[in-house]
Amino acid sequence: MDKLFAVFVAAMSVALSVPAISSAVAADSPKIVTLGASLQLTGADANLARYFRDGYQVAVDRINEQGGIRIGDETYRFALKVLDNQSNINLGVQQYTQLITRDKVDFVLGPYSSNHTLNESSVAEKYRVPMVQGGGSAKQIFDRGYRYIFGTAPPAENYFGSTVEMMTKLVPRVHTLALLTADDAFDVAVRAGTKTLAQELGIDIVVDQVYPELTPNFTSLLALVKSKAPDAILLGGHEAESLNFMREAKSLDVNGRYLTSLTVGVPSHDFRAALGKDAEGVFGMTPWVISPVMRDRWFGDGQQFAQLFQHRFKYEPDYHVASAVADVETFAYALEAAGTLDREKVRDAIAKSDFESVYATIRYQANGQIDIPQIVIQVEKGQVVPIYTDHFLNKPNYPVPAWAKRK
Amino acid sequence: MLLAQILLNGVLLGGLYGLMALGMALVWGVLNIVNLAHGAFVMLGGYCVYFVFTGFGIDPFAALPIAFLAMFALGYLLQRYVLNLIVRSAQLNTLLITFGLDVVLTYLAQLAFTADFRTINPSYSGANVTIFGLTVPLLRFAAFVAALLFASLLWVILQRTRLGRAIRATAQNLTAARLYGVDPALLYALTFGLGVGLAGAAGGLYGMVSQVTPYMGATLTAKSFVITILGGLENPFGIVLGGIAIGVIEALASIYIGPTFTDAISFGLLVLILIVRPIRSLRTA
Repeated sequence: MDKLFAVFVAAMSVALSVPAISSAVAADSPKIVTLGASLQLTGADANLARYFRDGYQVAVDRINEQGGIRIGDETYRFALKVLDNQSNINLGVQQYTQLITRDKVDFVLGPYSSNHTLNESSVAEKYRVPMVQGGGSAKQIFDRGYRYIFGTAPPAENYFGSTVEMMTKLVPRVHTLALLTADDAFDVAVRAGTKTLAQELGIDIVVDQVYPELTPNFTSLLALVKSKAPDAILLGGHEAESLNFMREAKSLDVNGRYLTSLTVGVPSHDFRAALGKDAEGVFGMTPWVISPVMRDRWFGDGQQFAQLFQHRFKYEPDYHVASAVADVETFAYALEAAGTLDREKVRDAIAKSDFESVYATIRYQANGQIDIPQIVIQVEKGQVVPIYTDHFLNKPNYPVPAWAKRK
Repeated sequence: MLLAQILLNGVLLGGLYGLMALGMALVWGVLNIVNLAHGAFVMLGGYCVYFVFTGFGIDPFAALPIAFLAMFALGYLLQRYVLNLIVRSAQLNTLLITFGLDVVLTYLAQLAFTADFRTINPSYSGANVTIFGLTVPLLRFAAFVAALLFASLLWVILQRTRLGRAIRATAQNLTAARLYGVDPALLYALTFGLGVGLAGAAGGLYGMVSQVTPYMGATLTAKSFVITILGGLENPFGIVLGGIAIGVIEALASIYIGPTFTDAISFGLLVLILIVRPIRSLRTA
């Protein structure tokens, strides 16, 4: 019995000492800044939302590996808490509420897409928690007078800006265009901006149609476009729609007489892989291309970042990934500048951001959104070639041959 | 000419819709199960053809029978060992279990295949011919012909074979069919297998004209549901005609009313049919 009692006392001593040991370890280990995000890890948007999950993760891990950040006199590391909103906006709103009120994250990163950001950023605004995001680009997100929302995606209204400008400088010049856009917040903004600019530059919009988001069937719209024979076709949509559009355009032999351009898809490797040689010649846009020019405190440069990312995640990063990295880095710089976790002071520091990242030089406008130019790109031999910003960077394959005349 | 092209596009797409709905109609008519996992089976069939095509270089049309057989086996096993447990219970239970199956299959597909968009893209995928000024996309035309072939095959099975007679007898009167020696458990499993096999073949064709993702199923289930209501539960050609009707209506609505109204019109049609033509009369149509 005495032996048993001795064993019990010893066991209790060990058990009681564990929290004390943990506390001692915790006192020496760096403190944690928790970033929360609700992302579309499953559901219809899962393919593109993974870019943000992977971008956030690689940035958090890289900063931590290199010793974390200094806030005041102390070293902090980042922790990332990501919830899956199943591509459901209502669930996303609930999850941001949960992240802020129950999980007590310090700051929030954004979801993917303008539709989600438009709704879910209201939670961050309500609780006065700074949200930095690269998934929502519609100006509508930033035109509501919100103070706590910052965006690293350039305005959706201007996605086709450099493309339309380029069309007036190409020979032969584009005089007519067909504009097909989805009915989500991003594409509604794309449509508004493109129409205004095209009219200013004297390009006649001969087809202007809005289609339901995620439609699998463009055949009727393509028949309409073919009947009008426009010089250019501009499609505003996401990757799934871009894929369907291109495949159906080929099967119905529909081309822009000179060019076809897509808002989303062209920079993504899996989009080009899915289309194969049918992607040749198509134009697109991106605010970011893999390049050694941009310097980054944690990743070196854009080229090194791309190599590191590809090695880890087995796919080539696109601008979504790079903007996600810039989102995390915004918090890193702002926290160091503020010297505190106080949300109001961090918010002010974010507003004054001015740093170079793998993505771009990050400076937010008064409305909270970054403004960087879209680079017109074209697919040549399966690779993305930068063509135009406000001047030509490379000679385009132009006019793009009709489907029947392609090799 | 624009109108003719739109009608042609609608007919070709509608044929594929019809094939998608065939399996749902068969299962609904015989087992009285509204299979909410139908779209998930279409999705799995799409992946099956995709991997046979990309992994072994087998032409996707030649891969359709493989997808059909693989999905038939899956359907047979699911009916025999899962659905058969609740086949005689309230219809709500069958709705719940097929809804659950849909969720499980969809998420398993994302785990297994990722959310990447996959296209079944043979060298002839964009080929077309021009006839009287109309562009006929050959792959869609072939998919349309394949849909008619599968519908014909199903009609022959139902009308001309012993299995088909047993299926029809069971659908009409289960007790009488049992008295004539029909084993309902086996017959239900074969019927569900056939339905899932047809869904799998339709998925392969759909992947050739569109794309395959884990989340493609929900819309296709809804579309198949509308077509089944429109086409009736017994005659396979009625289903194909229902598919063509939906395809043409959507194509016309897309241009003359507005692309964003196509789903509203499809489902508005469903409501209208449910009001004027109760499901009981569909069974005897």
